[in-house]
Amino acid sequence: MMIIIRRLAGHLARGFVMILVVATISFFIINNIPGDPMAARYEKLIEGGMAPEAAAQAVKVLYGFQPTGTLWQQYSDFMGGLLHFDLGVSVSRPGTPVLDVLTEAAKWTVLPVLVGTLLSFLVGVVLGVYAAIKRTGKLGDALAISGSLLHGIPQYVLALLLVVIFATLIPILPADGPVDILFDPGFNAGYIGSLVEHAVLPVVTYALSAYGGWVLAMKSSVVTVLGDDFILAAELRGMKRSIVFRYIARNAILPLFTILALSLGLLLGGAVFIEKIFNYPGLGLLLIDSVNDRDYALMGGAFLLITASIIVANIVADLFYTVIDPRVRSGEDAT
Amino acid sequence: MADQAPGVRIDGLTVVYKTPAGELPAVRGISLTLEPGTITGIVGESGSGKSTLALSLLNAVQPPGRIAAGSVEIDGLGDVVGFAGEQLRKARGAHIGYVFQAAQNSLNPLKTVGKQLLDLGRSHGVADLRGLVREARELLGRMGLDGARVLDSHQHELSGGMRQRVGIMLALVLNAHLVVLDEPTTALDMITQANILKIVREVHAERGLTTLVITHDIGVVAEVADRLAVMYGGRLVEQGPTREVLGSPRHPYTRGLIRAIPRLVGDIDEARALPGRPPTLVTVPKEGCVFRERCELRMDVCDTVDPSVVADGSRIVACHAVTVKEHAS
Repeated sequence: MMIIIRRLAGHLARGFVMILVVATISFFIINNIPGDPMAARYEKLIEGGMAPEAAAQAVKVLYGFQPTGTLWQQYSDFMGGLLHFDLGVSVSRPGTPVLDVLTEAAKWTVLPVLVGTLLSFLVGVVLGVYAAIKRTGKLGDALAISGSLLHGIPQYVLALLLVVIFATLIPILPADGPVDILFDPGFNAGYIGSLVEHAVLPVVTYALSAYGGWVLAMKSSVVTVLGDDFILAAELRGMKRSIVFRYIARNAILPLFTILALSLGLLLGGAVFIEKIFNYPGLGLLLIDSVNDRDYALMGGAFLLITASIIVANIVADLFYTVIDPRVRSGEDAT
Repeated sequence: MADQAPGVRIDGLTVVYKTPAGELPAVRGISLTLEPGTITGIVGESGSGKSTLALSLLNAVQPPGRIAAGSVEIDGLGDVVGFAGEQLRKARGAHIGYVFQAAQNSLNPLKTVGKQLLDLGRSHGVADLRGLVREARELLGRMGLDGARVLDSHQHELSGGMRQRVGIMLALVLNAHLVVLDEPTTALDMITQANILKIVREVHAERGLTTLVITHDIGVVAEVADRLAVMYGGRLVEQGPTREVLGSPRHPYTRGLIRAIPRLVGDIDEARALPGRPPTLVTVPKEGCVFRERCELRMDVCDTVDPSVVADGSRIVACHAVTVKEHAS
């Protein structure tokens, strides 16, 4: 237990430093993007026929401030706010803190991505084991081909295909946003039912597009373990099939947890195509919008969120290994 | 099954491997008897088929190989070649113990030895798991290890010699009386080798086992085996009591092998390597003697006729030249 706590402390310290570094880099990169959101808004108002003074006034009212500090001042303000989880105020949605915009969007990304990824992981891993064990038979071939095929189809093609089939040809599922606006948001059967109904297609798209990777990764991992001496040894000692199966599965799944953790971290960045196609106002769309709107604050916030989630996923994966793999555990003992 | 050493009769055993060139025999027409309570050593070069033979005793030849003909009759069990499914699984471990080469990782890296011991007990329906652990601890203690500590360890925390002793423990803990050791001392240092061989000998005597030791090291056989069988190209070319075979080898291959061992005293040049290389699955001759390419006593008949296995008292040799010589004298 001490080992785990010590590891965790080390990881958190390193993670914190990494986040600061990434925040710094993204701050300077974003600041160096040519263009100025307020100037852009000002020009737009002018184009709309407003007088220059009125336009300048309107812009000032809209944002409540004009950036006047030096770059260094802006940077220290930004980092200071960061330490209080204050990511500033969105430029494109005046008056709304970036953090609020992000959490609102995260709601529509986290759940479908989490469910879709875990679903594909479970199904893919189980079928991957079968694909490996039956690899000389027809079932194994079929599973491997299904894996390669789904792995090869781009996510947006898959999403469009599902929309065409299940929302247009056989219209049994909705593909028009995360929820029916008829229902009152809240904890009532109608709203939740509508949420679930709308989530089916995006979740299935996530799951199907990730499934192939899991099947193929698990298959090759199992095939490697099957060739290990201890599997033959267990069989020659007359171990029950179910026990040998558990030995195989547990050893084969180990390397996949890293991939799982990383893909969970990455997917928080949102799947732009899926969110666009199913009209989910998630993080992916938000990031694209923020870039289009030159919303510096929002952009920085979104980058930071993705960075943080990947770092956290890495930490979780590493700690997880200390729990499940005795070799990692005692490796720490030795140092 | 009786709590005593079983005899084993291998008769006409042929094991083939499926290759692009068709099914090729790795072991061909081998007959060998393991008398109850003896240690038999099988010596052969890599690829001679000795490990395949050892796996056949558990009917565990791995695909693409299969036992094509012959029988392996074990006292109290029957012909294991006919075994399948649960019957075969239960025979393995409980009646026949198999010890892997120490360098091979024969333990699940993620579980402690103790947990794997319990898995083994549950697989074989052992009701008294506490008793099984006690027995395992005693066995390990008997072999000079701290039983409680070893059972609490993972594979990576054990040295090669310790792993080998754990392997022996797992082969014996269910009270198997037939034990197959595949290269038990390969990849161990000299002192550990000597230790393991001593343990094999002592445990064999104490528990009343029938033991088969597979090795490429004649020294190992000389150390432990009562009987010695020499394999070449999937055939048994000579067998007999260890002392007699080593003292007066008859088959030219056995003679060549012994001559190739460097002596501690005398000129190093006295040791002469056997010329040529052993046949592989593909190059082993289809007919005639498998050893003829490297044989100094080669005759015309060797090219076409398989030498028959001729018994002379406790010695058994398969060689035309030896047979001719004996008929002449």
